[in-house]
Amino acid sequence: MNSISGALRTVYGWWWLVLPPVSGVAVMAMIIGALVVAPREIVEGEVQRLLYIHFPSILAAYGAFAVVAVASVVVLWRRDMRWDAVARGAATVGVLFTGLTLATGALWGKPVWGTYWTWDARLTSTLVLFLIYAAYLLARAMADELDEAAARFAAVFAILGALDIPLVMFSVTWWRTLHPQPIVLRPGGNPAMPPEMLLVLLIAFLGIGALAVWLTVLRSEAEWLAKRTAALRAVADRYEGA
Amino acid sequence: MSPAMAVVLKDLRLAWRDRAGWASAGAFATIAVLTYSFAFDLATGDVRPLLPGVLWTTFLFAGIFAGGQSFARESEEGTFDALLLSPVAPTVIYLGKAIANVIAMLVIEFAQLLLATILFDTNLVSVELLVIVFIGTVGAVSLTTLLATMSATMRGRAMLLPVMALPLLVPLLIGAVRATGASLNLEAGTAPWTLLLTVFALWSAMLSVLLFPMAVER
Repeated sequence: MNSISGALRTVYGWWWLVLPPVSGVAVMAMIIGALVVAPREIVEGEVQRLLYIHFPSILAAYGAFAVVAVASVVVLWRRDMRWDAVARGAATVGVLFTGLTLATGALWGKPVWGTYWTWDARLTSTLVLFLIYAAYLLARAMADELDEAAARFAAVFAILGALDIPLVMFSVTWWRTLHPQPIVLRPGGNPAMPPEMLLVLLIAFLGIGALAVWLTVLRSEAEWLAKRTAALRAVADRYEGA
Repeated sequence: MSPAMAVVLKDLRLAWRDRAGWASAGAFATIAVLTYSFAFDLATGDVRPLLPGVLWTTFLFAGIFAGGQSFARESEEGTFDALLLSPVAPTVIYLGKAIANVIAMLVIEFAQLLLATILFDTNLVSVELLVIVFIGTVGAVSLTTLLATMSATMRGRAMLLPVMALPLLVPLLIGAVRATGASLNLEAGTAPWTLLLTVFALWSAMLSVLLFPMAVER
């Protein structure tokens, strides 16, 4: 057991050496690449450059929500509150990047589709995803740091949410496709990408991916420290009271 | 008498004693339908395109409010902890509550369907529609009962419960509104939507039964 935690600590320290510089350099490279290196898209114009944030962000969000689901299963199974801190940290990052996806999508949609928002299946299901995990964070914020019952409740809700996502996607697709499609422009066939664009997109995956992992680590660490502080404060209060 | 039956009877008796609470959920549903009819001016023109949405949002809101309060008394009085200590499986405790809540909700919903039939001069009491309402209620109540049990001791529960339940219930709402619309001949065929509704009801009932014991473990 000790060797495992020792190994974890080594990996963790190593992450601290690697993640901040990697995400910093890759995000800078992404910004320069997206603004300077990548060519201007002929049909969509400059606004297409938002894609370099938009697409990697939703993948990062999916990754974060997968971490929430796995960590929540471990909370119920092992009753280890460290995993609750991980779930909470990953949920914060997931909500952040889902919000970023929705925001960049809306900014892109206005000039290209002619509207910020359309009730397209993919947009709608992403919004529901955002709302489910925002509700998760609200429930966590309203509960006491040390309330294990609340942590288990949140874990059950996160598992329900994760398993609900396929149903939401499926039902929303039916809802839209058995209905007249919006008249606004819809993305047509995907044209093959010039190599420069593909390169910038790959750098963006690396940058946003590393940033998401690093933020999740930071956030989970902060949650865990907050829990320990609350526990210590409870002990100190008991001594003062006695 | 089996423990399961005893728990169901206990919850039905509680629901009956708490009839003022359930009556206020019924009154809320009635007022919601009336509010919608003023807001959308349902008194004139063809109301049928709006009716499914009006009915199902009313059912969901009433169900969430009533389900939320149905556990409040038990957690305040400590009955819930005592039940968990008794030699009854947690699944049975959950099923008892869920069955009592489904029965109480069905009574409220049937009353609303009768009322809407009279108010909007549209026949809403058909076998097809009653089946849809039954499946939808089972799906919604099994999920809200689970969330209500777990959040019974949390502060801000009244606000938190709808915020947590409604995004999860999006597939159910879509399926129920479409199936109801189809049963009113607004679109072709109830079958695909009833299927979606049934899948969701099975999903939420099975997951709730599985997850409830883990959620309430002390």
